[in-house]
Amino acid sequence: MQLPIKVSEDSREPIYHQIETQIKTLIISGQLPPDTPLPSIRVLSHDLACSVITTRRAYQDLENKGLIKTVQGKGTFVKKLEGKDKDNEKLKIAMYTFEKAIQQTQQIGCTEEEIIEIFDKVFKQHFDQKGEME
Amino acid sequence: MNTSLLSVEGLSKDFKYFTFGTVDFHVEIGTVVALIGENGSGKSTLFRLLLNILHADEGKITFFGEDRQVDDAQFKQSVGYAGNLLDAFPYISIKELSHMISYWYDNWNEDRYRYFCERYAIDERMKFGRCSTGIKKKVEFILSICHNPKLLILDEPSSGVDIKSQRKMKEDIIEFMEDGTRSTIIATHSVDEITHLSDILIVLHDGKIVNSMNKDDIYENWARVWVSDLKESIINHTNTVDVMYDSKQIITNHLPNLEQMLTTENITITHTQSLKIGEVIDYLIPQN
Repeated sequence: MQLPIKVSEDSREPIYHQIETQIKTLIISGQLPPDTPLPSIRVLSHDLACSVITTRRAYQDLENKGLIKTVQGKGTFVKKLEGKDKDNEKLKIAMYTFEKAIQQTQQIGCTEEEIIEIFDKVFKQHFDQKGEME
Repeated sequence: MNTSLLSVEGLSKDFKYFTFGTVDFHVEIGTVVALIGENGSGKSTLFRLLLNILHADEGKITFFGEDRQVDDAQFKQSVGYAGNLLDAFPYISIKELSHMISYWYDNWNEDRYRYFCERYAIDERMKFGRCSTGIKKKVEFILSICHNPKLLILDEPSSGVDIKSQRKMKEDIIEFMEDGTRSTIIATHSVDEITHLSDILIVLHDGKIVNSMNKDDIYENWARVWVSDLKESIINHTNTVDVMYDSKQIITNHLPNLEQMLTTENITITHTQSLKIGEVIDYLIPQN
């Protein structure tokens, strides 16, 4: 199966980390339910044009975090996450997403106060729009 | 645990008009090594030396931790090679060729052979010499892989092969590599094969290895960088590979080093972009 993930051309984040975060997001969001088979390390390396050394590292990290499991001779599968672990990982991804946004806004020269102001604005805009749609 | 499948140390051979070596490299278990280099850079010579078709003047080749010379027959059982060896038999049909070759292999899998002939639509009655370039390549590939080797050595396997069959070959190499206990060395001019199949790149130039790296090092270190100012110190920096003056653009082979220098020079980077392998290859091969 082909996973909807890709390696970014503009990101400075190491490839293994990009793979890890994207697979984690797919698992936590439920797009990859428990027991879904994942592509083999070799096939994923082909799809993402990276080396098996990198893909193996991403899978190992995900396995250590209890998100996937490897069954000898059968392949790699999504693990069933317990409620507490799931909330924990969800929080981590959410924090990471905001962290990245802050870094990017800092790069274009925004100060802390400006970022908070912008956040408030975007936050209101986003949820007001949603309210109107409902 | 020993993770080296093949290890080459101090390999060299003198020819009348060409000197090969000295060459040193390792192939780890479970990896695909892409051998890159211009025509005449020594790729096929390296393969012939590995296979003992040519005898090296100097050097040591170790296979699974053992000297390759100790048991030549055992080594050959464990290696599959596709690279213009069959041209010596133009009057023999493909079927006869397969009998001739399978005879020597303890592990020959006739079912695999049948499967591949069907998959690549090979007409076994054809005399090898009458086959087109592409079909010859397919036959060589098939005959290199049916004895379940540990090391697959492919010399430009897809050159002249139709697009559909190139995709199949790529799938078959991926399947061959799947369980992680084997390795492949592939000499190739196909950017697609380098990008999607290989893990390690080795660049050969004038009989010597001039570059050797994990493919993902290119992503991590190489970059196209747009800067606010082009000073002498950037242009002459060891990690600056190319400069585009009109757009204030630099190609670097080590972004972290370059960044450090730029900070001390008070120059800002306005944008960075990773490079595609196809773009980097030109820089990896020295200009004559």
